[in-house]
Amino acid sequence: MVEYDRHSQREEPNKPALRTCIVGIGGAGSNVLDRITLDRTVDAQLVCMHTDIRVLGHAMAPTKIQLGADLMRGVGAGGDPDLGREAAMFSRDEIRQAIEGHDIVFICAGLGGGTGSGAAPVVAEIAKSCNSLVYVTATMPFSFEGRRRLAQAEEALQQLQKRADALILFENNRMGELILPKDGIQKAFAQGDQLISQSLRAVSTIVTTPGLVKLGLDDLTSALSTSNGRCLFGFGEARGQNRGAEALKRALKSPLIDQGRLLHQTKTLLVHIAGGETLTLMEVDGIMKQLGRHVPDHTHILFGVAVDARLGESISVTLISSLGLAQLNTIAAVAPPANMLPLTDRPMPSVVDAVAAAPTSAPPKMKSPATRPAPVAAEQAPAPSVKAAPVPQSMDLLFKDDEIISLAAAAPAPVAPKFEPAPELFPETFAAINGAGLAQDELEPEEEYYEEEQHEPAAYAEPEPEPPAPAPAPAPVRERPRIEDFIRATPEPAPMPALRPLTSPLAAVVARTNLPPEDLAYAPPPNMVVPKKPTNEEQIDLGFSNQDRGRFKDTEPALASGGEDLDVPTWMRLKRKLKR
Amino acid sequence: MAKTTIYAGLEIGTSKICVVVGEAKRDGTIKILGVGTAPSRGVRKGEIVDFDTVHTCLNDALVRAEDYSDVMIRNVFLGVSGGHIESINNRGCYRLPADQSEITEDDVEEVKEIARNVPAPQDSISMHSVTRQYIVDGVEAVRQPIGRQARQLEADYHIVHGSLPRIQNSIKCVKEVPLEVEDVVFNGIAAAQVVLNREAKREGALMIDLGGGTADFVLYEDGMLTISGCIPLGGDHISQDIAMALQIPHGRAEALKVTEGSCVYEDVPPGEMVRVEDDTGYVLGEVERAFLNEVIYLRVREIMEQVYQRCEGHIGRLAAGVYLTGGSSLLKGIDVVAREVFGMKVTRSGSAPVSGVTATFENPQFSAPIGLIRYAQILDQEKPFLSPLKRLAHRMADLLSVAL
Repeated sequence: MVEYDRHSQREEPNKPALRTCIVGIGGAGSNVLDRITLDRTVDAQLVCMHTDIRVLGHAMAPTKIQLGADLMRGVGAGGDPDLGREAAMFSRDEIRQAIEGHDIVFICAGLGGGTGSGAAPVVAEIAKSCNSLVYVTATMPFSFEGRRRLAQAEEALQQLQKRADALILFENNRMGELILPKDGIQKAFAQGDQLISQSLRAVSTIVTTPGLVKLGLDDLTSALSTSNGRCLFGFGEARGQNRGAEALKRALKSPLIDQGRLLHQTKTLLVHIAGGETLTLMEVDGIMKQLGRHVPDHTHILFGVAVDARLGESISVTLISSLGLAQLNTIAAVAPPANMLPLTDRPMPSVVDAVAAAPTSAPPKMKSPATRPAPVAAEQAPAPSVKAAPVPQSMDLLFKDDEIISLAAAAPAPVAPKFEPAPELFPETFAAINGAGLAQDELEPEEEYYEEEQHEPAAYAEPEPEPPAPAPAPAPVRERPRIEDFIRATPEPAPMPALRPLTSPLAAVVARTNLPPEDLAYAPPPNMVVPKKPTNEEQIDLGFSNQDRGRFKDTEPALASGGEDLDVPTWMRLKRKLKR
Repeated sequence: MAKTTIYAGLEIGTSKICVVVGEAKRDGTIKILGVGTAPSRGVRKGEIVDFDTVHTCLNDALVRAEDYSDVMIRNVFLGVSGGHIESINNRGCYRLPADQSEITEDDVEEVKEIARNVPAPQDSISMHSVTRQYIVDGVEAVRQPIGRQARQLEADYHIVHGSLPRIQNSIKCVKEVPLEVEDVVFNGIAAAQVVLNREAKREGALMIDLGGGTADFVLYEDGMLTISGCIPLGGDHISQDIAMALQIPHGRAEALKVTEGSCVYEDVPPGEMVRVEDDTGYVLGEVERAFLNEVIYLRVREIMEQVYQRCEGHIGRLAAGVYLTGGSSLLKGIDVVAREVFGMKVTRSGSAPVSGVTATFENPQFSAPIGLIRYAQILDQEKPFLSPLKRLAHRMADLLSVAL
């Protein structure tokens, strides 16, 4: 048997880890560097560069380079990037000496001023020429700092983008997002520094520590590769219960990632999860699943896991991605993703239409049974001013309540025109319901309820000789319509020449009130055409769809011993039972 | 002489959340110190669907009750209801050991345990184990078996159980206030304590508490609690029926039901109309009164019939008839419908007179919360022989025991 020497498979122990160098340029850069130095968690060469010797004096970095010593004489660049650039050019040998030989060079600079904006591109170029990966973290000035500084910052940014492999931008304006309003300003700046240093730490950790699922420089470049784009960075750390979810939440909350919204656009996403010895697969799985909701399916996810004993009980989640410039611009125009919008009841527009449509059918119904269908079709368009007034009123009311009753399509119709001085309003109720009935006569059997009512007005419409009057004199022969009558009256084979088009809004609304399939099983009378309901397959369960349950939508249906849903109104169920 | 204890009863109902603070004296009288109510928004059919809303409403009610009664409420007796509540009568049989001839307290406990072992659905918890009667050596209707000489002790228990998760939901909601839940009581049983007097119980009576979301019913026969349960249909359903029939919003339907609704439709002259108005008084339209009443009648009748179905075997033996209470019992003509369905005399009543805030006991809406106070009092009276610690242990066991 051939002995398989596993040991030779492992990386040679003396292979050097990735060498990183962190360079802080300018005032802001040196602040960040100080923080990183203090944290002492990053295993990298720390270099601070500035034109101002006083700042250098305070800096805590082990390596300090004074830019343009002769030129500037130890004084700052005074907010002039040209001076900064020149100073850097002067000292480029020193710079090169400090940063060459590293695989990654992180550059931190605050743009808008002199040294940062001027020297950073130079340093980046030098680093590039040393064949290192250049990762730039830059801050943009506050908007109150004025247009000039902003312009300078923009220009420096452009230059940096050309030379950097990855660019993470932090806008000072968003510093407010990091802190509570009442916190001191020192804390705000400290938080900003911390954020940047976190990102640096995270990236360097990702590429240096050997992980269970390794991410290398190549993954990093692939995630960050974008021309002229911007990097997104999110970092979250948490401990205790639900630490996975917490850490992810914090990572997504990071202002650099804009609540995860920008994630929707990315093509590549690098996720790195690090934890102590107690990291479990379930936590990792949970995090990835949750993350999956924020990124589109086609995103390429680079996944890395590392166990770092130094982390102890906490979990850290790092998200790195990039957005191209083109995408950046479109983001401004794009609305928030769909799942952030509250689910609106789509019926609303059509209910309005339906309401608008329905009342018109009311008066014509009284005219003559035979010509009913025709006027309905004809009078869809003209909207009597009568209905304009009641519609908004009733619509307001409808919207006031949470529960929109979708049957309300026909709703204000019968009740709305009532404020006319018509003394006999009841016939109109019927007429309107009739109209509604006829409006979708070829639709569901549910409408047969309304169908059958038409015989009532037919019964008493005839005795009244003046059909066109919407307010007929109360005929003494008119009997009080009873529910049983509606239910039991057998449908007359009335001629129905014109079938209402399926696309009428009222029809659509009514079509939406799903009835259990038992109703569909009932064979309609021969003269009625019942189109196949398209949503047949969905109606497996008894009772209303959740939308129609209105008030009871979040509860379990009250079931009688026979299994019928008692939440459905009694009068409605009775109608169905008796029809069988 | 009487040491008074102050109890607070909390009912999280579908139409209102009500906190009642009462003082119970040893001689059995109750004085209502204060009542706080708030309209309930997040409850449907007796069960909490929206915790946050309920929380807010609950706080409202609590604050009002505390203000009114000037008492800091720390723990409450929680009344629950819901379609998941079921009851069953079970008899436990226990043969005394050979050397023992007298029944002791432990024997009673033993037989109670035996009686409690009923097959109940998964996830259910027994809320009440009410003693119906003891049977000592075949002699029925024994109230106090302890100390009697006997060979065999049997006990009839009426066990009310409900779904554990739902009850826990309610408890959780109350605990968040924060309030301590002393005991969880089925609303129907609580209401029955104040609606039915001893005579009614002895003669046999059925009490139906028609609330906003549920109809709780309790049937006493021969002085023993025989059937209890809950139908998850209530005033809400009536309003919803009206809303769907007339195509008006639920709130309007509710208002219409309260002001104009009636269960009697046959005698209404045809053509009599009812105006439907919106909030501003603007008339939306008119609808025929008989139509409206018929819709109401159908639903009320159905609720009654559901109760009838559950009490089928015992209806004929109730001399005291049916007692209707609860908010929905204020509907005009509801006693007519009840008489139709049950065929017995029907009484509409609120709780028995209590001292204190008089308006409350006359109002049938408050029967259940006031009943909670009375229940608390009974609970304290029923177990004088148990040391407080043991009593607590029993209560805890009752509360937490899962019926197997």
